[in-house]
Amino acid sequence: MTPKERVKALLNKQPVDTMPVFSGMGTVTIQAIEKLNYRFAKVHTDPAMMAKAAIETAELFDFDGIVVPFDMCTIPEALGRGVSLYEDAEGLLYPTVPTKWASMEEIDLPDDFESIFGQGRMPVVDEALKLCLNHDGGKLGVGGWVLGPFTMAGQVMELDVLLKGAAKDKERVGAFLGRMTDLVIAVAKHYEALGVDFINIREMGTGTDLLSPRMWKNLIKPNMERVFAAVDIPIINHICGSTDLIIEMMNDCGADGVSVDQKNNVVQSREKLGPDALILGNFDPYGTLVQMNASDVEGVIKKCIDDGVDAVWPGCDIWPDVKKENVEAYVAAVRKHGGKPSPAVGRL
Amino acid sequence: MADDQRREELLKELHEGVVEYEEDRVKEAAQDVLDEGLNAYDAIMNGLAAGMEEVGELYDQQEYFVPELLMCADALYIGLGILKPHIRPEDIGASAKGQVVIGTVQGDVHDIGKNIIKMMFEVAGFTVHDLGRDVPLEKFVEEQLKTDSEIVALSAMMTTTMMGMQKVIEMIKEKNPKVQIMLGGAPVTSDVADLFGADGYAESAGNAVQEAVKMIANLRKLQNQ
Repeated sequence: MTPKERVKALLNKQPVDTMPVFSGMGTVTIQAIEKLNYRFAKVHTDPAMMAKAAIETAELFDFDGIVVPFDMCTIPEALGRGVSLYEDAEGLLYPTVPTKWASMEEIDLPDDFESIFGQGRMPVVDEALKLCLNHDGGKLGVGGWVLGPFTMAGQVMELDVLLKGAAKDKERVGAFLGRMTDLVIAVAKHYEALGVDFINIREMGTGTDLLSPRMWKNLIKPNMERVFAAVDIPIINHICGSTDLIIEMMNDCGADGVSVDQKNNVVQSREKLGPDALILGNFDPYGTLVQMNASDVEGVIKKCIDDGVDAVWPGCDIWPDVKKENVEAYVAAVRKHGGKPSPAVGRL
Repeated sequence: MADDQRREELLKELHEGVVEYEEDRVKEAAQDVLDEGLNAYDAIMNGLAAGMEEVGELYDQQEYFVPELLMCADALYIGLGILKPHIRPEDIGASAKGQVVIGTVQGDVHDIGKNIIKMMFEVAGFTVHDLGRDVPLEKFVEEQLKTDSEIVALSAMMTTTMMGMQKVIEMIKEKNPKVQIMLGGAPVTSDVADLFGADGYAESAGNAVQEAVKMIANLRKLQNQ
């Protein structure tokens, strides 16, 4: 199988030759950036640099799939919230949103979300996705990703106002999240139309570190269901942080799979969801790829597989300044231990 | 005796007002404390802070989540705003005259945990120098030197911004090894705190409350002895 075929088959729960190595979160490494002689701060604004940074990372380490963009600010920026790129800062920093709406009254969204695709860096992302899709005859699996409605809302308005409003001002917050859901659907459909192989919806600000399961059920789930129903290609429901209490609801939203981080007890999640659910996860990317001795990486990856994931995904974006030998150990471990069928995906 | 009973009543009002995030109830009770000539510092520590201590426990028991924490914090802040100007220097004594520099590191614009910790430092009588969010690393060092603060509290919500903390710690400890460094934020673990050379850590807003509450609780214990 080609890497793309492997990624697509797995996400459609069809048999694969072996477990693909890919992620639905930012996967770009300093080794690729340095080989290309780029500065990290520059790869977010140039489509060729963005695509090459993703592709070079995949080719250096033998990944099956890639995702762009690398930062979470492209859509807030297109909505007029600006972006801090930290071009003069020392060291690696991901872009951030510099100004957020401070109250419900300040929210100012366009009537038609199609208009945002010409704004800010949205055209850069489109062009980068096309370059990724066309690279080497379309060899690699290519993913698009969008923040979930609540997390997106927290990127454009002050999170404390949103969180308190979710409890005290339910009607207006509910209406705002409905609009955010329309936005997420518009972006996901746009990436689908560009030809990406899958979409990852990252509703990462909604784990039970922040919200109660009851709030998740009432405020998050209906919007996520609407997103997943609107997209026809494989689509993943990713939440980082504490997810044990909401894993069944996550799986019940209509996504093709769920992705969780290292806080999730995958053994229990697998028991709750059964063998047919596609579960992706769940290693700590910083601990495993930056801090750990390379010799310990295989054990972490093997445990993810033994616990019952269908593909080994990091719990979040990987920190670009990884140890080369740790990433090599991660890929080697997936190749070594991913030959046998996983609970939801058979082998050819 | 009547005074003792009234004190208990008002402390309970403040405590429950915080736990139930009833801002008006806290406001009224705080004003009553002043109007009836009771001790403002006692009301802050044994009413408001004690209420927040219970909030931390409720978070730990997964009865409360971050929206509730924030609403409780708002109620506490209302009471603090009324009572704090009336604290007498002799009430604070030697136990809490400290200064703290606090901020979210450059590249991170999340400040909920930072704001809660800031509030708890204020409750405990610290002078807080809040640098805000997305703060350039050298600014922490400059502010610590300028204010001679004993504590620097750094927050980062994302793994991708946590790395800046290590650099700040190195820069501060090089200039003044006695400064206590507290780290906070979702990606911060005890391993990371140890690796970076920090003196304490809290991994979430709720955890930050609990850490701060422990500090406040110790303070209350000392004062009650």
